[in-house]
Amino acid sequence: MQLFRPGANTIALLIMAAIGAAPVLAVGVSYGVMRSPYITDQNITRNQPVPFSHEHHVSGLGLDCRYCHTSVEKARFAGIPPTETCMTCHSQIWTNAEMLAPVRESLANDKPISWQRVHRLPAYVYFDHSVHVAKGVGCTTCHGDVGQMRLMRQAAPLTMQWCLDCHRAPEPYLRPHEAVFDPKWQPPPNQAEIGPKLAASYHINTGHLTDCTVCHR
Amino acid sequence: MSSLKELPTRPAAAGLSRLNRRQALSLLATSLASGLAACSKPNEQIIPYVRMPERIVPGEPLKFATTLALAGVGRGAIVTSIDGRPIKVEGNPRHPGSLGATDVFAEAAVLSLYDPDRSRTILRDGGIATRAALAAALSNGRSQDGDGLRLLTGRTTSPTLLRQIDGLLQAFPAAAWHAYDPTDDDNAREGAQLAFGQPLRSLLEFDKARVIVTLDADPLGHGADQIRIGRGFAARRSGGAGAFSRLYCIESALTLTGAKADERLALHPEAIAHFAVALAAALGAKVEVSDLPESQHALLQHVTADLKAHPGEALVLAGPAMSREMHALVHWINAQLNAPVRLIAPIDRTPAGKQAGTLKQLVDDLRAGRVRQLVMIGVNPVYDAPADLQFAEQAEKAAFRLHMGVYADETAAIANWHVPQNHPLETWSDLRACDGTASIVQPLIRPLYQTFSDHELLAWLAGDADAKAYDLVRQTWKGTASEDFETWWQRALHEGVIAGSAAPPVATAAPTLPTLAPAEARASEFDLVLRPDPCLWDGSLANNAWLQECPKPLTKQVWGNALALGPGDAARLGLGSGDVVSVQSNGRSIEAAALVEPGMPVGVVALSLGGGRKRAGAIGNHVGANAYELRISDSPWRISQVSIRRTGRREPILTTQNVVRTPEDVRELYPLHHLTDTLPPAASANPPSLMPQTVRPDDGHAWAMVIDTSVCIGCNACVVACQAENNVPVVGPEQVAMGRDMHWLRIDAYDHGAGDAPQIGFQPVPCMHCEHAPCEPVCPVAASVHDSEGLNGQVYNRCIGTRFCEANCPYKVRRFNFFGYADGEEYGNLGAESYRGQKNPEVTVRARGVMEKCTYCVQRISAARRAAERDDRPLGPDEVHTACQSACPTRAISFGDMNQADAGINRSKADPRHYALLGHLGTRPRTTYLADIRNPAARPEGRT
Repeated sequence: MQLFRPGANTIALLIMAAIGAAPVLAVGVSYGVMRSPYITDQNITRNQPVPFSHEHHVSGLGLDCRYCHTSVEKARFAGIPPTETCMTCHSQIWTNAEMLAPVRESLANDKPISWQRVHRLPAYVYFDHSVHVAKGVGCTTCHGDVGQMRLMRQAAPLTMQWCLDCHRAPEPYLRPHEAVFDPKWQPPPNQAEIGPKLAASYHINTGHLTDCTVCHR
Repeated sequence: MSSLKELPTRPAAAGLSRLNRRQALSLLATSLASGLAACSKPNEQIIPYVRMPERIVPGEPLKFATTLALAGVGRGAIVTSIDGRPIKVEGNPRHPGSLGATDVFAEAAVLSLYDPDRSRTILRDGGIATRAALAAALSNGRSQDGDGLRLLTGRTTSPTLLRQIDGLLQAFPAAAWHAYDPTDDDNAREGAQLAFGQPLRSLLEFDKARVIVTLDADPLGHGADQIRIGRGFAARRSGGAGAFSRLYCIESALTLTGAKADERLALHPEAIAHFAVALAAALGAKVEVSDLPESQHALLQHVTADLKAHPGEALVLAGPAMSREMHALVHWINAQLNAPVRLIAPIDRTPAGKQAGTLKQLVDDLRAGRVRQLVMIGVNPVYDAPADLQFAEQAEKAAFRLHMGVYADETAAIANWHVPQNHPLETWSDLRACDGTASIVQPLIRPLYQTFSDHELLAWLAGDADAKAYDLVRQTWKGTASEDFETWWQRALHEGVIAGSAAPPVATAAPTLPTLAPAEARASEFDLVLRPDPCLWDGSLANNAWLQECPKPLTKQVWGNALALGPGDAARLGLGSGDVVSVQSNGRSIEAAALVEPGMPVGVVALSLGGGRKRAGAIGNHVGANAYELRISDSPWRISQVSIRRTGRREPILTTQNVVRTPEDVRELYPLHHLTDTLPPAASANPPSLMPQTVRPDDGHAWAMVIDTSVCIGCNACVVACQAENNVPVVGPEQVAMGRDMHWLRIDAYDHGAGDAPQIGFQPVPCMHCEHAPCEPVCPVAASVHDSEGLNGQVYNRCIGTRFCEANCPYKVRRFNFFGYADGEEYGNLGAESYRGQKNPEVTVRARGVMEKCTYCVQRISAARRAAERDDRPLGPDEVHTACQSACPTRAISFGDMNQADAGINRSKADPRHYALLGHLGTRPRTTYLADIRNPAARPEGRT
């Protein structure tokens, strides 16, 4: 009596292969999902109460990053500008623009504007903007080409691996001090040569930069 | 059958769920789906200011100088505020009462600010009332000259408050002002009156004293002057034999001073008085002296010889339990010795020179029906007045009773009106330090609730309904500014002291020798001595969970107080620790758990104040025994005619650990040398080990800590400072009973004494940050890891809670979150929203199931490093101060980078007293110690 049909061998082989492959696939898929924009929010553009365009203000008008993000050189947080900052110009220009109605209302009613957060680090990560700026890491290195973004999006994955890549070898990303806030900066052809020199002049000690206690407490 | 029918056969309809199967399933599906949906990150908002306040940078700390009161006396503080929330108190180096350090009470003040049990609204007979109604009530009952008006405040040194009281008494000449503080030292005041004819205050200069004799006094113990005295004491406890001080302590219950003493003698309070008289006689006083027992005679000879040998460098001091005649006698002795004691005018008098009446006088007035309006500000006499005054009962005789306090406490319960008072961190005021230096109390935050300042209430009483505390304080100081007032004011606020306001020393004639009353016959079974509590002080801080769970220095007891009695007495009564006894005196009795404590003289039992609160709040209610119920106004610190009966009940005494008394452990773990000993050679810092040699990269930092046990007075300031800085949670009494607690820094106590003569030393134990850390190799998930600067880090996110590290840690410094002590399962009301305001945003709040421990305040290292890197300069060797180090009154803790040759830490490490705890294990700890040095009098027969 024939118990198994001829196709049974194939099925058995497939099952055996799957026993081996499934864990690998499961890990691979989870790893892929964890690093995908679905989890990291990379390149997801968020709607904002006021459609503020970095493209217009940075590339078009040439505003310096620090005009609005005032504490980027001295504090952990770069700082989101208070309504007052918007109104320094917009009390003079585009005073009736419909787009800016929430800004005017904010000032008139003393109610802050609730911006949607774009770059979010977990609570156990203690990131400090000021040190990165002081050590020659430019704004666009992490935040992407802000000058070309109409609405803000998160350009980098902000995973721990991404942080560590630079903490292990920051040389390719370092800029001279004067270029830190330059939105159009591109690494020069001889970056491989000047990167280590910059690292040395900034006293960057990579031996310490991968300690857990540098970012976590 | 009919009766059976009446029995319900199924639950009543009301108890049934109205859901049918279909609805239940759909709800289940919805909850599953929403659970899955919750996996994605919620959108987060950033809400900036509309108008940016000056100086605020989001997330960056701001520091402001202010002053905190203890028993009405100010200790300067610099409070850190982040995003408008005060989160940490540190000392103000410019302030003479702080000298840059703090004490437990100052450290814990920031938790009380966020206490949700604080009083929030004006109450009339327990119901909510308006300010307008109160204003009407205040103006109604008052007669033209204030007849029948009595004001009761705490002992206060606030120049503004005293000025206002003067104003009030001028406007209402028939009114009277009384002050009461349960920890007041009336005998010292009256003793000075006897000796000098005026109630002068003594300022002890321990830094100038080579020989100190304390007679039932506890200068190193908790109090408003503890920091200054502790610093002075420490100044004379290092260096060679030429400058080292000797501390004789004769006391009736073990205190911190007794623990640190070079020669300690436990005596009955009456015997201490005899000893004092004998000492005066030996120094030439013409007093009648009875013979001392042989054991005391030897000590007396040593004391006398030492005192005589150090004129100008020797001082004697008497404690609050000593009679005023004894205080006067001690003044006479100090005058003979030319002792380093500065005498200053009292700092709690009004500008017109008026001194407050006593509580006893107030109660007499109440009893006689002379009081119609009783206004009580910042006091709680229903709880803490001596029992014989029967304050609650007498107060009812005043028709109008107003109470102002931070809490709606026991006194608020008997008042018709209750006005909520600001927390000291929310209000403008001013205070004086022990030496008279004035400083401004500056608010760190706008009042969290509808509370008022005591200055405002006094202004209302005087008829000024719109006065603001800020204006009242400025008004006080307007006249004193020699320059432009605004400049002066800004400087006073910035520096936290008002320059040149210290009280000048008073020149006095030679003190007169008091006439001593003949000693009474000793007839009581026991004498009960009372002490302020080392954690709860007078009980007003009972609702502070940090203080309740702070181990008392000498017993390690938490969450309650206990009646201390000596082993001899305990054996005689058949009592053991934990037996509940009934303590009876003068027809009143309380029940308290007994605690057998070596070092108590025979016939003396001791109890600390501050327990047994009934209306303290969710944390402090019904914790411990209320000693005030036995207190009598004539002798508040010592109660005679006490009898002790066992009740048969037992109540376990909650302790976090034991005092180490096994001789071999004590000798090994807490070496104690005599000044004249030659120190043993230091053990090898690097015993043979199978572990790989640790690298010490010469370009990086290498953090290390050295703790000098010789000057550690066990005051617990570091313990609470660590708790505040590092978001260390409180676990509650039930968890402590199971052997759990979360303090990252504990203070071990070692007893070198033999039998009933304890000689106790304190050893603060944070994480050792071992170079060969035994916790690291046993962690299966690498949550316990070393960093390149020698910190042993704990990665909370990796930790899966195996607790292998805790088991393998020889120092037992790791703490496990068995529950979400800080995160969802807090004790009592500690989970209330308001408490979150205190959390340090620079430190992770640990969740349930993870291990945690001391990090060497890695957030402070990081902050200092980032500041240095921003400025592009190297990080200095002594630039980082850990929370425990900044808090320490005696500067026992030093911390720094041992890779930099000029670091202070390297000087400590070169000290011959330097040793590593359990160094023979080869863990190479980065936290090391300096051995304790004592300087006993050389006596052939040894200690008595």
